[in-house]
Amino acid sequence: MGPALALVGSVLTVLAALGVVRFPDVLARMHALTKASTVGLVLVLVGGAITLDHPNDVTSLLLAGALQVLTLPVAATLMARATYRAEGIRHEVDTVDELAEREGRAGGTGEGRGGGT
Amino acid sequence: MITAALVLQAVAAVGFGYRLVAGPSLTDRMVGLDGMLVVGVSALALQAMATGEGAFLPVAVVATLVGFVGTAVVARFIEGTGG
Repeated sequence: MGPALALVGSVLTVLAALGVVRFPDVLARMHALTKASTVGLVLVLVGGAITLDHPNDVTSLLLAGALQVLTLPVAATLMARATYRAEGIRHEVDTVDELAEREGRAGGTGEGRGGGT
Repeated sequence: MITAALVLQAVAAVGFGYRLVAGPSLTDRMVGLDGMLVVGVSALALQAMATGEGAFLPVAVVATLVGFVGTAVVARFIEGTGG
């Protein structure tokens, strides 16, 4: 059971790496990394927690998994917003830009601090 | 089965390493670095499963926390410098 979960998680990590290599856009690459790689890592850690039986090992693995689930989406959101403000994004694929409307209302200037598109 | 998982992690590390070296923007490089960190934590867990020895597992917790702080700091840096 545990090694099978670890294998499935590793397959998901490989898929995340494939998306990071192949996707054409910064935000698409970040999407591939954040979704697939979070689930893959948590599957590997849960597989390890099933396989090992010492309580120290189990708590370390589960704590690492919980912290990863909590922090990786937050980090990806920070990176995506920083990229949006600094460089702007391509509007060919995603036509709806809710962040611009929101920042236009909130900030007043309408443009990001980096002066992007 | 754990050996196959380690081989898959190595393949993923090659992909993330390519994006870390060749990524056109700083955000691309940070995506590659985050992926390398995920591969590293997974490799620690897989090594503990293979040997039954969990002495390195607290390193996985610390690497997770340090990786988050590093990503947040780089995000602030990108936002400040404009790319």
